[in-house]
Amino acid sequence: MDSRTPALYLRLAPALAATLIMLGASLGYGVAQSLGYIGAIGARDLSLDAYTNLLGGQGAAGREFWVSLGFSLWVSMTSTLLSAVGALLIAAWLTDRPSRSGTFALNWNLAVPHLIWAVGLLLVLGQSGLLARWAGALGWIDGPAQFPVLVRDRFGFGIILHYVGKEVPFLTLIVLAVLRTQSDGLLRVAANLGADRWQRFRLVTLPLVLPALTAGALLVFAYCLGAYEAPALLGVQYPRALPVLALDLFTNPDLHARAEGMAIGLVITAATLLTAGLAQRYGNNA
Amino acid sequence: MKFLAILLISFSTVMVAACSPEPPASAELDPSDWNSVLSAAKGQTVNWYVWGGSESINAFVDTFYGTALLERYDISLNRVPVADTVDAVNQVLSEKQAGAEIGSVDLIWINGENFSTLKQADLLYGDWAQALPNSRLVDWENPAINRDFGNPVESLESPWSSAQFQFIYDSARMDVGDLPRSYAELKTWACANPGRFTYIAPGPGAFQGTRFVKGALFEISGDAARWGAFDQANWDRWSPELWRYLNEIKPCLWRAGTTYPKDENELHSLFANDEVDISITQAIVGAGALIEEGLVPPTARAFVFDDYMIGDFNYVAIPANAPHKAAALVLANLILDPELQAAQVLPENGFGLGFGIDVGRVTDPAQRQALETAMERLGEAATPAGDLAQSLVGDAAAPYQALVEEGWRENVLIGQ
Repeated sequence: MDSRTPALYLRLAPALAATLIMLGASLGYGVAQSLGYIGAIGARDLSLDAYTNLLGGQGAAGREFWVSLGFSLWVSMTSTLLSAVGALLIAAWLTDRPSRSGTFALNWNLAVPHLIWAVGLLLVLGQSGLLARWAGALGWIDGPAQFPVLVRDRFGFGIILHYVGKEVPFLTLIVLAVLRTQSDGLLRVAANLGADRWQRFRLVTLPLVLPALTAGALLVFAYCLGAYEAPALLGVQYPRALPVLALDLFTNPDLHARAEGMAIGLVITAATLLTAGLAQRYGNNA
Repeated sequence: MKFLAILLISFSTVMVAACSPEPPASAELDPSDWNSVLSAAKGQTVNWYVWGGSESINAFVDTFYGTALLERYDISLNRVPVADTVDAVNQVLSEKQAGAEIGSVDLIWINGENFSTLKQADLLYGDWAQALPNSRLVDWENPAINRDFGNPVESLESPWSSAQFQFIYDSARMDVGDLPRSYAELKTWACANPGRFTYIAPGPGAFQGTRFVKGALFEISGDAARWGAFDQANWDRWSPELWRYLNEIKPCLWRAGTTYPKDENELHSLFANDEVDISITQAIVGAGALIEEGLVPPTARAFVFDDYMIGDFNYVAIPANAPHKAAALVLANLILDPELQAAQVLPENGFGLGFGIDVGRVTDPAQRQALETAMERLGEAATPAGDLAQSLVGDAAAPYQALVEEGWRENVLIGQ
């Protein structure tokens, strides 16, 4: 910590205050509602019922909680892993061949919102989507039902495909940023010492980018775990991702169901904070 | 500095919005003294929260009510489109939790579960619906009107229009003679045409699916009337047979019943994309308004089973913290105007739901004539009026709603 730190915080104070007030107030409301404090119907008795229902598998929400948690974890972990591996490979490939078009393609993808990407996947890959129509026109299939279920499938493959498509470019840019700040001296030295292509990747490139890639991957994981739109659009009625289940409970006509919805929201928040903390640690080591 | 300025401006905007001067208190508003309501409403802007998912309904609201309000009563209409009525409900709930005595919502197009949410939270302005001058045109004795999804209305909301559960088929794909006319026939048809039928997943926000399942419950138990009052024994007796029926039809459904469309729009899109052969609607003009919107093919037609097609009404309600209650009352009354009621059923006007009023109570011969003529002009995409009337039944009592929705997820969707 150097002497500039207090001044820095002072200058950040307005932004920090706004963020903390907005975020703190909504988080406070969230905790209160998850404990059964629903002001609108005068419910003021605090209890852990929502949490015990969820964790104990009680009631309509509890019945789906563990399945949803498992589904969300499966989708998030698979998406993160595939994105990280994909990003590493593409970045390693691109860094040998600096080209404007490659970077442009990556940046272009970042500008597409998740919602648009998901709807696009649905329109292209759905059973009555563009590909299915081409297949039908070519006589490969007789009707929509014969086209394979690529999105809105019960294993979440459509959602994973969505996240991989969006997050590979994001992580690739992170990895490329690290690689391009390094001179290629290390790689040349390794080559001079007789390291082959694979050895150069494993012993030089990988250790260089791993901290940044891990931090980025954890951010991707946290995002996938908490995001609503892709699983809502590309998922099925059962199993549902945690955020979808949470919103369903939150908008349930019975206001008491809000406690469970909020409790799920806080479970997601806790998981996200944990992941963000890990990302921070790895990011600092980078 | 620039950032700080922006921050300060946005903060002060929030503060100003939160502390804006209160409009004239409407506490002493007396709906039975209509002239006082009219004079209080003059010059007000009424914020009407309306489901905005249909461009043709939006245009109908702006054209027909917006113009009439301004010309007849000097009231401006501010139609606030919401993606789902529950958003308007959440707005009112949040205002209540934030302690805002004067809210922002004047009138909500509402029914069923959203009504019951606001009623449960005691957030509705009361004792007005039956005090409106045009309320005499409403058949308040009809249990389909004085109960909303089985929940007593108690003058907390006023009807706008009526709807009835119907199916849609494509006359270019299917012969009218081959249509199933009962749930039993539907099962036979679905299993003879595997993958070509599905229904909307029952649940909050997808009441059409709940209604499809309730209709099956009625047919299986052979009686709709017994479900008008809640009886746990009845439910325990018949619900296992209901789940059995739905599980028997399940393997014959689209995607073999592993998933279901989540709302009416998703089903319409499956239908239009030739993934399934039957869709579901509530509109009295049948497929007419959907054809106008381009959501279904022009050859789409509506049909009903011979019995157990649930009909009901939808309403407008005023939140207790509405800033312009007088204007909201005038609008709720205007909605019941026979001339506008006749306009709302015509397919070309884009609304397409049925009357909220009882035509038999309209005494003016010209108005009555207009209403009767409108009913004859529903178009060829509508279910024949005789079929609708013959199959009409009332909804089940309110507690069955949650039982059907949760039971369906547990016993049919998630399954054994």
